[in-house]
Amino acid sequence: MSSDRRKLVQEGFRALERWGVVVAFVLLFAVSTAKQGSDFVSFENFRNILNSNAAIGILAVGMTLVIISAGIDLSVGSMLVLSAALGTLAMNLLIAAEWSEMSAVVLGGAITIGAGLLAGSVNGALVVFGRLAPFIATLGGLAAFRSIALALADAGEIRSQSSTLFATIGRGGIPMFGLENNAGKPLTLTYSTVVFFVVAIVAQWFLSRSRFGRQLVAVGANETAARYAGVGIAWVRFRVYAIMGALAGVAGLVQSSRMNSVSTAQLGLGSELDAIAAVVIGGTSLRGGYGRVWGTVVGVVILGMISNILTISNVSPYWQGAVKGAVIVLAVLVQRSSRD
Amino acid sequence: MSHSKVPKNSPLSDAPTLPTVALAVESVTVDYPGVRALDAVSIAFNRGEIHAIVGENGAGKSTLMKVLSGLVRPGGGTIRLDGVARIFARPLDAIRAGIAMVHQELNLVGALNVAENVMLGREPLTLAGLMIDRTAQRARAQHWLHMLGAELDIERACSDLSIADAQFVEIAKCLASNAQVLIFDEPTAVLGERDTKRLLALLQRLRDEGRVVIFISHHLDEVIAVADRVSVLRDGALMRTFTRSAQGVLVSEDGTRADEGTLAHAMVGRELGSMYPVKGVSNATIPAIEVTEFGAVGRSHGVSFAVRAGEIVGCAGLVGCGRTETAEAIIGLRQSSGSVRVAGLRVRLRSPRDAMKRGVAYVSEDRKGRGLHVTLSSITNMTLPSLSAYTRFGGRIDVRAEQSVATRWIDALSIRCAQPHAPISSLSGGNQQKFALARWLQTQPKVLIIDEPTRGVDVGAKAEIYRIIAQLASEGLAVILISSELPELIGLAHRVLVMHAGTMVGEVTREQLEQRGAEERIVRLASGLTAEFGETKEILA
Repeated sequence: MSSDRRKLVQEGFRALERWGVVVAFVLLFAVSTAKQGSDFVSFENFRNILNSNAAIGILAVGMTLVIISAGIDLSVGSMLVLSAALGTLAMNLLIAAEWSEMSAVVLGGAITIGAGLLAGSVNGALVVFGRLAPFIATLGGLAAFRSIALALADAGEIRSQSSTLFATIGRGGIPMFGLENNAGKPLTLTYSTVVFFVVAIVAQWFLSRSRFGRQLVAVGANETAARYAGVGIAWVRFRVYAIMGALAGVAGLVQSSRMNSVSTAQLGLGSELDAIAAVVIGGTSLRGGYGRVWGTVVGVVILGMISNILTISNVSPYWQGAVKGAVIVLAVLVQRSSRD
Repeated sequence: MSHSKVPKNSPLSDAPTLPTVALAVESVTVDYPGVRALDAVSIAFNRGEIHAIVGENGAGKSTLMKVLSGLVRPGGGTIRLDGVARIFARPLDAIRAGIAMVHQELNLVGALNVAENVMLGREPLTLAGLMIDRTAQRARAQHWLHMLGAELDIERACSDLSIADAQFVEIAKCLASNAQVLIFDEPTAVLGERDTKRLLALLQRLRDEGRVVIFISHHLDEVIAVADRVSVLRDGALMRTFTRSAQGVLVSEDGTRADEGTLAHAMVGRELGSMYPVKGVSNATIPAIEVTEFGAVGRSHGVSFAVRAGEIVGCAGLVGCGRTETAEAIIGLRQSSGSVRVAGLRVRLRSPRDAMKRGVAYVSEDRKGRGLHVTLSSITNMTLPSLSAYTRFGGRIDVRAEQSVATRWIDALSIRCAQPHAPISSLSGGNQQKFALARWLQTQPKVLIIDEPTRGVDVGAKAEIYRIIAQLASEGLAVILISSELPELIGLAHRVLVMHAGTMVGEVTREQLEQRGAEERIVRLASGLTAEFGETKEILA
């Protein structure tokens, strides 16, 4: 009898581990709706939550892959600001050299993503060839990449010289049919959000359907066994950090175009923690070898909703960190209890 | 002893020392989802007895041990310790009651030394309990190790110990916790011949001191050699009990003598055909693989041999003699010296991946740690090395092709696996081993190095694995079979190479394998002696 009940509790915990993130989402949604009514459940509010968290979301998707490989990347915020700074500087130079705005923006964007890819490759090389622990290698990146960005702009702001086109990437969007905002203008699904979703879908596909994803899980679950199975471990691990860097570049592009400038001291500051938090809330194992991108996406939305509801409820922003922290710890506790 | 409920000066203590029942399970039943793991099992474990539990994987041995050590609470039945019904809700309860389990996976703290590990959690204190009394700690650890007859440097870090020595430290730890009941879960599975003897002698010593020794083993010869009582489990039920008679033979209630045949019969419920298939002949002229003056840097040297297609060449040697390291060096997992030729072509294999491309595959002895990904599914495990064969445009894995190939292998090797998508850890050792074989067979190797293929595998599956290996060789695969089980080498291999202290010391030919005394010949070589016939083999004691 008692063993039956215990088994039931165990299975309950296991289900909670698997679907807990969805349960949390529904609960949070219900509470927020009950408390705030239409302020919260409006398309516009949701659009805003997604829009303002798109960059963190893109970072978190990459972080999911890194963590599945049993690694970590602490330098994502610094890669973000460095790549955005380099890209924006290049774009401004091109505009000053009287290139067309279009080609300057496109090339600047490509340089942003390329710079991220390069920074990520440095991380990957340090981890794979330098045999550094990912924590240490990317801790170095966390300090160094931002420092380069700061040096480039004298710790100041790099303003975009593009008149409108650049800002359109971050602010524009696809009009959603039949929906209007408070001011009566058509409501748009921002490009940032679209990029976030596309990145997430592609990453989830790669994770569950591609050879790279399979090898990533194998390396994360047991690196020794993967080596014995003939998996090219070095290449797998290098690629995951390079991809993380490229995604940091994409996030940098989204953020800098939304602001239409790069504040080298502020942009992406502390975002590595938000990204890791979203991954953990989403149910990806910090020990590696198991994870899911869709969970991370829900994790990002949950974190966004918490900030949103606290802001609507006039809770001081100083308190928001405490609430987020509690949610993160709770998520890990739930995950662990089912394994004991 | 302190747990004994029999008063010291009771009339019983004057009577001839009859074995007293120390621990008894009575009609214990355990249900797992969809399966009854133990079905009303009653067994009494006596003081001063080695009680062996045998059975195929899945027969309920592990479940029974989990019940005794507080990891699983039975759905029905009673556990009595010295006549008193006890409930072990968690492992700590069992440990406090004096029941200790020596696990297959040893639980030592690598960074601590031997003495610290033996006294872990029971450190003698000084300075009003503020400091560890190191002198006393060393003295007590030495005391327990001495009792075991183990000569170990107590200052050595446990991470440097061989598996055999680590096992002794683990046992000393149990004794230090005043354990009266010691459960050994396949302790000899990881040991070579000599350490096995040492361990079995130790079991006998623990018995003679009046402790309860519970011994789980797949090695029926060891069981027959040392057990005072043997309980055979099959499908969660107690099938038969053999007891050692006054004449020193194990007999069952109906007078059947225990030998490997009758035990195996009781375990599987059917006669096993001949364990070993008929050996084939190799007609190949060019060696499939030839290594010359080869070695794993720092671990072995001067190893030269050649294996032809269709040949099974055994490799014997004590644990630590460098067999595994040499194999790992061949496939590029370790730095190597010397040369390797595959199909006559001089090659340098830099990684398992490289080796795979040249048609050389290695099945690791360490299934859980290196050979397989235990948390991943059976299918994922099986296709991991050959993943590129299933990869289509854009890196997409053709899941259907994967599935159908898996089904084919499950069929071909008669793997019992109801859910190929469930974690492979849910399968028995034998079926895991078959998947480990299948994963490499899929890469279509010309040379297969198999390291301890039947470790932790039950009798029924063993015979099947032997049949598979022989079949593969007859189809033209060159097989190198590394094993610590001499009957396996003699029964399966065409000839046996013997290693000692990092180098090859001799070869036992096919003719010699068929003669009496083949085992002895191998043992002598492996121990560093010449292959002369000497005194008869002392059986395990």
